[in-house]
Amino acid sequence: MSEAMSGDARPARARPVRSPQGLVAGLTLVALAALALWLTRDLDQGTLNAMGPAMLPRWLAIGVGLCGLVLAGTSFTTDGHGLERWNLRGPVFVIGAILAFAITIRPFSFGPLATPGLGMVIAGPLAIIIGGHATPEARLRELAILALLLTPFCMVLFGDLLNLPIPIFPQALTGLFPADWSQKAVLRATAAMMAGSGLLMLVFSPRRHARSVDVTGHSRRI
Amino acid sequence: MGDLFSNLSLGFGVALTPINLGLAFLGCLVGTLIGVLPGVGPIATIAMLLPITFGLDPTGALIMLAGIYYGAQYGSSTTAILVNIPGESTSVVTTLDGHQMARQGRAGVALGIAAIGSFFAGTVATLVIAALGGPLTRLALVFGPAEYFSLMVMGLVIAVVLARGSILKAVAMILLGVLLSTVGTDLETGEERMTFGLPFLADGIDFAVLAMGIFGIAEIMRNLDHTEHRDVVRQAIGRLLPNRDDFKQSYKPVLRGTLIGAILGILPGNGAVLGPFAAYTVEKKLAKDPKRFGRGAIEGVAGPESANNAGAQTSFIPLLTLGIPPNAVMALMVGAMTIHGIIPGPQVMTKNPTLFWGMIASMWVGNLMLLIINLPLVGLWVRLLKVPYRLMFPAILMFCCIGIYSINSLPTDVMFIGLFGLVGYMLIKFGFEPAPLLLGFVLGKLMEENLRRALIISRGEITTFISHPVSAALLLVAAVVLLVALLPSVSKGREEVFLED
Repeated sequence: MSEAMSGDARPARARPVRSPQGLVAGLTLVALAALALWLTRDLDQGTLNAMGPAMLPRWLAIGVGLCGLVLAGTSFTTDGHGLERWNLRGPVFVIGAILAFAITIRPFSFGPLATPGLGMVIAGPLAIIIGGHATPEARLRELAILALLLTPFCMVLFGDLLNLPIPIFPQALTGLFPADWSQKAVLRATAAMMAGSGLLMLVFSPRRHARSVDVTGHSRRI
Repeated sequence: MGDLFSNLSLGFGVALTPINLGLAFLGCLVGTLIGVLPGVGPIATIAMLLPITFGLDPTGALIMLAGIYYGAQYGSSTTAILVNIPGESTSVVTTLDGHQMARQGRAGVALGIAAIGSFFAGTVATLVIAALGGPLTRLALVFGPAEYFSLMVMGLVIAVVLARGSILKAVAMILLGVLLSTVGTDLETGEERMTFGLPFLADGIDFAVLAMGIFGIAEIMRNLDHTEHRDVVRQAIGRLLPNRDDFKQSYKPVLRGTLIGAILGILPGNGAVLGPFAAYTVEKKLAKDPKRFGRGAIEGVAGPESANNAGAQTSFIPLLTLGIPPNAVMALMVGAMTIHGIIPGPQVMTKNPTLFWGMIASMWVGNLMLLIINLPLVGLWVRLLKVPYRLMFPAILMFCCIGIYSINSLPTDVMFIGLFGLVGYMLIKFGFEPAPLLLGFVLGKLMEENLRRALIISRGEITTFISHPVSAALLLVAAVVLLVALLPSVSKGREEVFLED
């Protein structure tokens, strides 16, 4: 199955590069090796008797680089796969979602910019709604319902039941509740409100027509 | 022998406490769930659930995590049979005959024989672990740094040979993995290596972050590239218990599959993945009428299913006795053990006998639970398969973020899973396998440590690896395996094995 999925193996007789995938893969390895060699340039290699910090990284980088050269070299002599079509939408939105989660979960400063810590109550839905748009089939309403139901579940599971030290909500939120409420009570009340509104949206959402069921191929996971 | 039974009874005493039974059940259930759902693998799940085990005692934590791993093997065969898509890569071959059986209205029998075969294989594998645990542990105690280094070299070479696709690319991935493991502070000299001066890289790259990035996140990106339609079997599932003829046809394949899977599973270098392929090939070669294969032959389900479960369990052997993780899931188990202050290796059995034997006994208990919970729940799993991927992946994404954040409470860790996800996605696009990279990363630190130690002891003599007989033998095996794999006739056969799926 892996063969079938890794793109079409078009014989490219006219072009000098007979395996574009091999060429790019090889050059990538060479670039990585060069980066590692440059990073370890100031470190001492030592002797076999007393190995320095650079000994292993340097020789490994040379090995990676050699593999890359061979791979790039054989791409001119042996037929191989073409380059696969790149789809930017998936990676862009998935990484966007991860970054959004990372900078909102707790105060984060990057140079002059700083974000307030908003906790899971904001970071979770952000990740779901931004990430969900990685597929063209995304529907905002569906994702909003998913976010409103899953986030309170995670808040209760990680924050309440498991007591993990993960920020749940911004400190400002406690001000909206009666002063004698504990953190846990605020957490539960917020979770209940989110889940309630999610359920309301689910109940009152217009009936969807026959959903197309899709799935993906999976052959390369361990 | 008496030793074995007293040890096992000690183990069952631990495994059968209500809390450990509950944890094994939870692990099996979660494992089956992620096994059934294509798109969520055991690696990402275990990495996500690591923080949850912080509050448990080490034995309970490991029992639950082990349950997730072998539960996933059970669950994936359900998807393979009913939907013609492997839930995990170990059940790729089950789709061939299993789904055909389902189309002929024999889905229930296929599920039944898969479950029964897996249970039998699990039972045998549990006994194998219990029997081999003692001797191998004693063997491990005579291993010096040179032997350890050579053993890991052998493991990596085997991993290269077993990886799919080009051998050269697999070698490159292993080297890159070892290279990544050298990032961070050098333990001997205290100098920082390849950290770009970033403080959070000084401790090196966190294994859970790398694993979740290149398996969890990269997998999502790859899945978004091509959507296929799910073809859930509409025929009735039919009766679940195989009849006498079915048993007659399948008991030999189950025995052979168990044997093949158990042996391949012990090999360092993720032999568990190859087990089902090997078992299928053997059954096809031995069958009187090979044409039946691919058209719903019950042997084609019984053999590979037994092999995959046996292999999943015997892959615990190198971890528990030698402290060497043979695949990425076992590497996460190392992480789980170290979090709880246990250093995997031969000393586990002597220092924490309740943990060692309790975990082994729990595997058998877990297999029994899986047999009981899996078959009646088939209807539920079928329903779950109807959840569209566009709703599943945002949920997985959020769980990954929360899981990785709660391990170290570092937002940079979350960003790094995005980075490694992108790297993993690019590697897949360029035709590289991420699995050898992860294995190289896992073994990298241990290898460097042992290499240094061996060289210090021998005063810089590189010949120390050949002058020690055990070490020389291991390196010889590695060399022979690599040469054989490179022989033109074998490398052609190797391609065929992997093309068959």
